[in-house]
Amino acid sequence: MTERIEFNGVPASHGIGIGKAFILEERNSDVNPEKIHEEDIDYNLEKCTRAFSKLKSEFQHLKNESEGEVADIVDAQIETLKDPELKKSILRKIKEERYEAEYAIFSTLNEFIHIMENSDASWLNDRTIDLMTIRDQLIDAAKNRSRDESIEENSVVFATAISPTKMIELSRSHIAGVVMQKGGLTSHAVILSQSLDIPCIISAKWKNKRIKNGEDIIIDGDEGTVVVRPKEKEEVHYARLKREQQKNYKKELEIVEKPSKTKCGAHFLLQANVEFLEELPRIKTHGAEGVGLLRTETILFQKTGFDLEAQLDFYRKVVEASGDKPVTIRLFDAGGDKLLEDAETESNPFLGWRGIRMLLDQNELLTNQLKAIYILSGEYPGRIKLLVPMVSCNSEIEKLKENISSIKEELKSENTNFDDNLPLGVMVEVPSVALMADRLAKLVDFFSIGTNDLTQYTLAVDRGNEKISTLYQPFHPAVWKLIRMTKEGADQYGIPVTVCGEMASKPKAAACLMGLGITNLSMTTSALPKVKSMLCNHSLSEMQKLAEDVSESNSPDEVISLLEGFGS
Amino acid sequence: MVKKTVTVKNEAGLHARPSSALVKTASKYDSDFYISMYGYKVNGKSILGVMTLAAECGAEMELILEGRDEKEALDEISQLFENEFELH
Repeated sequence: MTERIEFNGVPASHGIGIGKAFILEERNSDVNPEKIHEEDIDYNLEKCTRAFSKLKSEFQHLKNESEGEVADIVDAQIETLKDPELKKSILRKIKEERYEAEYAIFSTLNEFIHIMENSDASWLNDRTIDLMTIRDQLIDAAKNRSRDESIEENSVVFATAISPTKMIELSRSHIAGVVMQKGGLTSHAVILSQSLDIPCIISAKWKNKRIKNGEDIIIDGDEGTVVVRPKEKEEVHYARLKREQQKNYKKELEIVEKPSKTKCGAHFLLQANVEFLEELPRIKTHGAEGVGLLRTETILFQKTGFDLEAQLDFYRKVVEASGDKPVTIRLFDAGGDKLLEDAETESNPFLGWRGIRMLLDQNELLTNQLKAIYILSGEYPGRIKLLVPMVSCNSEIEKLKENISSIKEELKSENTNFDDNLPLGVMVEVPSVALMADRLAKLVDFFSIGTNDLTQYTLAVDRGNEKISTLYQPFHPAVWKLIRMTKEGADQYGIPVTVCGEMASKPKAAACLMGLGITNLSMTTSALPKVKSMLCNHSLSEMQKLAEDVSESNSPDEVISLLEGFGS
Repeated sequence: MVKKTVTVKNEAGLHARPSSALVKTASKYDSDFYISMYGYKVNGKSILGVMTLAAECGAEMELILEGRDEKEALDEISQLFENEFELH
């Protein structure tokens, strides 16, 4: 098995990665239920204790270097390591059942994992991945395999799936890229890989390819290509491509300093989509003029959703990092694939209890978040905007406004300052809202189009479903038509429109959006320079011509070829 | 030995964060601490044990403490339930 192989996955984070294979899972394959001799019991007990304290100090270290939600996740892991029942069971398996330390750890953790997986509480099911991580890390520590030593710089990491904390940890080891067997384009790990500039490919079936640790790998995060054991001329080719990309990237970053104006002088506004504190330093370096979309679900999943101070703390960090620029905070968009812990399993979660639908039912959750945002608006007047997810009809906005009124009354009675004119906007991600934009526009202060969900709901294609992934066509003319309708509806009442979906992060699609008159775009920070460079180098009339042609297209292919032909 | 029946008042139930607060508080005391619920008894100092109870809002559980500081421990722990585990 030394010949070259090549296969594809879904490109998730751009860039070329060249390095040696590092397979995350393969490390624990040699745990066997072998019985040990009596004289080896003490050695195994000691090995186990050593593994626990080693991992505990590693976690402690990681916690000290992290903040916010990452620190909370790590703290929960430390708490698990302190669990007396866990330790008791492992030690009993060694002492009484005479299993070696690794197997005692393996089978004990699996028992807990099994309970969690079979629980009716979905939040508990979600915790299993954390326990699996701890299990594997404990076994590594018992075997005295250091993760820090084994993940060398420029490794291309192959994994089934990667947790957000793991992605942050990997970025600190300066890896060259990530290939995941599973994964959705909107998963936390993928969003992080983009903002940390780690090339990433998902849904890549690498497990049957017999890749071994240390083998030469090239991945292309723009094409979704994985090359194992590449030929020499290929290495040369990709190394050159990578150098070119880096050179272009540096050049692109130069554009950050230039004014946001088209070739003919028309102004535009580029902002950042933010979810994790780790992404904040890039707001400045990549030239974002504020945060156009702050996702807040992370707070909810870290269980701090009900805690006013923890919420405020998170928001303040984001606002401070944005300099004097505006920040649009989106209310919790939970539900769909991002399940709340007490949510019941639904047969159609994407068409179910999510976003504003859930918030209006969960009064305490909604009230708390609104209160936090209004208090914040008093601290930073004129800089905060409020965005509502998953709206599908006017009455949802009317109900929300009632909630807002009572929050304002409450704050007034407490003599707390707030911004009385806090702009209220809705996400346009359901076709009904785009179709009724002309009626909804008089109720709100701005629209923000979420193109990922709008595409999914317009085409009736679950974007997480691999079987129909080819039907997920973000450039379908129907999507463009709805975007145009939204803009026209907004224009009737003079309210601004932003696009904060993936479409905004594709330079040529961004040019087309500009052509439609949408001058506010918000995107993953890594895409900002190339989008800015595209918009700066073309005139508005060129972009308007593109938008007109796209609007008259009959198929996604036609749109794609129009976009590809633009500017070249 | 002291015992007391308490009710979970948190809207989201006794999920990861309150469980962690409960275990942290209990671990400050020497006394043994058990939680009895649905006919199961778990070690109240074990975060995995407490979490796997998956106690929902409204669930009743019996706190059982035994040891030299059992009374103080019971007071502080029942207070946590009373305050819905306000963590800051």
